[in-house]
Amino acid sequence: MPKTEKEIEIVLDGKKVTCREGENLLKVAQANGVFIPALCYFDHVDPPLGTCRVCTVKVKGKYTAGCQVIAKEGLEVEVMTPELLDHRKAVVEMLFTEGNHICPLCEKSGKCVLQALGYEMGMETPRFPYTFPNREIDYKPKHIIMENHRCIQCKRCVEDVFTDEGRPVFYFQQRGKETFVAVDYEQEAKLSYEQAYRAMEICPVGTILLKEDTMEAPGFRKYDKVPISEKSPEEEAKQEVKQQVVNPAEVKKKVVATVSLSGCFGCHMSMLDMDLDLLDLIEVVSFNRSPFTDIKDFTQRCDVGLIEGGCCSDENVEVLRKFRESCDILVSVGACAINGNLPALRNWMPVEQTLREAYLETPTADSTALIPHHEDLPKILDKVYPCHEVVKIDYYIPGCPPGGDHIYKVVQNLLLGTNYEVPYEKFKYD
Amino acid sequence: MTKGKATSRKIAIDPITRVEGHGKVTLHLDEQNRVKEARFHIVEFRGFESFVKGHPYWEAPLLVQRLCGICPVSHHLTAGKAIDQIVGIDPETLPETATKIRRLLHYAQVFQSHATHFFYLASPDLLFGTDAPLEKRNIMEVAVANRELALKGIQMRKFGQELIQAIAGKKIHGISVTPGGVHKGLTKAERQFFLDGKAVPSVDTMIKWSLEMVAFLKEYRNKNQVWLDTFAAFPSNHLGLVTADGALELYDGNFRVKDFEGKTIIDQEPDMRYQELFSEATEVWTYLKFPYLKSLGRDKGWSRVGPLARMNVCDHIPSPLAERERQYFKSLTDNKPSNSSMHTHLARMIEVLHCAEQMKVLLEDNTLDKGELVRQGVHRNLGIGVIEAPRGTLIHHYEVDDDGMITKCNLIVSTTHNNEPMNQAVKWVANNVLDGKPEITEALLNQVETAIRTFDPCLSCATHALGQMPLKISLFDADDKLLDERTRD
Repeated sequence: MPKTEKEIEIVLDGKKVTCREGENLLKVAQANGVFIPALCYFDHVDPPLGTCRVCTVKVKGKYTAGCQVIAKEGLEVEVMTPELLDHRKAVVEMLFTEGNHICPLCEKSGKCVLQALGYEMGMETPRFPYTFPNREIDYKPKHIIMENHRCIQCKRCVEDVFTDEGRPVFYFQQRGKETFVAVDYEQEAKLSYEQAYRAMEICPVGTILLKEDTMEAPGFRKYDKVPISEKSPEEEAKQEVKQQVVNPAEVKKKVVATVSLSGCFGCHMSMLDMDLDLLDLIEVVSFNRSPFTDIKDFTQRCDVGLIEGGCCSDENVEVLRKFRESCDILVSVGACAINGNLPALRNWMPVEQTLREAYLETPTADSTALIPHHEDLPKILDKVYPCHEVVKIDYYIPGCPPGGDHIYKVVQNLLLGTNYEVPYEKFKYD
Repeated sequence: MTKGKATSRKIAIDPITRVEGHGKVTLHLDEQNRVKEARFHIVEFRGFESFVKGHPYWEAPLLVQRLCGICPVSHHLTAGKAIDQIVGIDPETLPETATKIRRLLHYAQVFQSHATHFFYLASPDLLFGTDAPLEKRNIMEVAVANRELALKGIQMRKFGQELIQAIAGKKIHGISVTPGGVHKGLTKAERQFFLDGKAVPSVDTMIKWSLEMVAFLKEYRNKNQVWLDTFAAFPSNHLGLVTADGALELYDGNFRVKDFEGKTIIDQEPDMRYQELFSEATEVWTYLKFPYLKSLGRDKGWSRVGPLARMNVCDHIPSPLAERERQYFKSLTDNKPSNSSMHTHLARMIEVLHCAEQMKVLLEDNTLDKGELVRQGVHRNLGIGVIEAPRGTLIHHYEVDDDGMITKCNLIVSTTHNNEPMNQAVKWVANNVLDGKPEITEALLNQVETAIRTFDPCLSCATHALGQMPLKISLFDADDKLLDERTRD
């Protein structure tokens, strides 16, 4: 239906709002302060693509993509029901697990729409298992590379990047789950630098990248401090962060254990970034098994176990199980524990290849070169497993690493029941 | 548990604690409790060399810094130095401001890393003794017993971390380096934060506290001279970077190796020649390789790296207060190299002082947000970066195709160079402390770890090919049958 000048009323979540007939629902919602998330949708591609389904709403009890709904007299739409909020979150989680989205090394981190939606929806870790697909980066185009691990096939580039002669540059190849976005190299070479730059800009994730460093320092990027909905949750959060004073004398000392599995020890270092808070913490907490102490095996049951790192060897699995047995609450701290993170980059290649390249094919290897194997060495697993795929994990603290004060407040909250609302700028995947 | 059984056995210390990452020690003893074999193992593998391949070169500084959460800046900068070459820039042609920012970042990193090691990990051994009850040997107890020391230690580490955050956006795994330069400079207001002593103690306070810590360790050495001079002392070569005039150099210098008596083995070798100078051996029982100088071979060519080695190879330190302390340090061994592992703690603290002095110079520099930040030249296919990381000489090597894809990656991290020295240290304790003892107690086993800790090993880095380091000791009998595992319970 073409957009007309006619003013009509539609109903959003039971509330009447005025709009023009034929207007796109996402625009109407936006104008009325209702945030419907979307990935593939953007203004001037008309009709909207409707590929990502992240904007799912309900009309007359049926699910439909919000971007495909046109305002007309009598329209009633459900948007912010708990069911739909969870439904849309599930769609975003599927997008995360279907590709290889490793925020800490991504050029688009802080500017990525998928990541921003994860933040917006409070996704700690997807409810679905990671698929770790084996895809290739295409370096053949002239201006750009195609980082296919991150492509969500939203079709924006296919529909909106053309040469001066009007020829398309990107196109879908293969079908079904084999589908990927291919580049017409000849046409791509005709793009100007500015046109190629724009292609990178309209990609909502980190797939289309100029052949140069496009990283930006954390803290200064688009979504680092402002959520994609532009609704700052800070106001609400601030009211309740009344500093609760915990009197050490009144609290029975809680016991914490920590371990670094296949991580870089950065999360443990971040725990030390509590700085002087550490001195307060040890008034009410004692550490049992932890690399910070010399206690090598549990000497008592612990209230909380903090896990850094994913599982890359049989020993990691054993230690993690031991932690599950010995701790009341288990927390995955940091990206490696939550999704494998960088070590999981080996997940789409055979482990033999990884070992061969590390030990046999290095330029400084001498005649003794071999792949270590010994009864004193743990066995390497076929891939790196997120901790919650091995044992039940009760809480997640994302980040690479999460900040020290963030960890401190979560631990305080878990152990002592002090209030803590995670502020937007602390909840990050990188 | 291990009392004079009439059979031989294996003890495992697993995991080694109060080190960064995950490793273990195994000791093989015969019927008379004589040590037959003592080994230090790295038990994890992460495979960075393999999965860095295929990524675009500009991602390398982000990717490889995730090797290690203690010294991510070292990996970030070393990869940066290598990647500069891919875009046609060498240290001499890097913009001056970028060089200063990177140096400042590096000094902040070495400062915080050394502080972390001394206060959080090593100090319990020195303050309470290696035979203190195991529940006591940790930073939490240090904070109770010596609150002032803990307060200073925590704030020194914090100062370094805050400075890293100001430059790279985050305390751990920030981003500063871009190919051919840096992302941002440091404004006057940002520098003022570290100079005025309001929000954090000032850089002058850092210098003062560093001097106090050096004095504390000198005093400690006077009281415990025999122990510090002899414990885990063994002759070795020493490897480090120096400037053209032989000064201590952490960011960009040339290789120098001296032997245990101070004889120069190699000098002023450019970092680009590392492949001609070094080879790496592998053993079946550890994931960590054994680098050595090709000219001397596997048996004689291994070197210590890190603060002790750097003190031993340099001719002077270009910071006045630290240079004075270096001269004192050299006087302890008649100007010969020190081969006493325990002296590493003092050497490390002298470097802390050096870093504090250098941070002050740079923080007072008004040009840190002026001039060019990035420069590029003619692209190349090879980049080799070498740096003195907190734990020693760190080498990164990347090859890149014409499209910008990394086709080869080789990393020799500091702790890898110290692999043979740490094995020597473990053997020293095994032979001189444990050998023939009727009972191997937990306190004796802690001495093995105390020796390892002097190297401040970063097993996270070391496991780039794999990832962590707590300690375990296993006992084997004469038939190599596992008799006992001491995980220090």
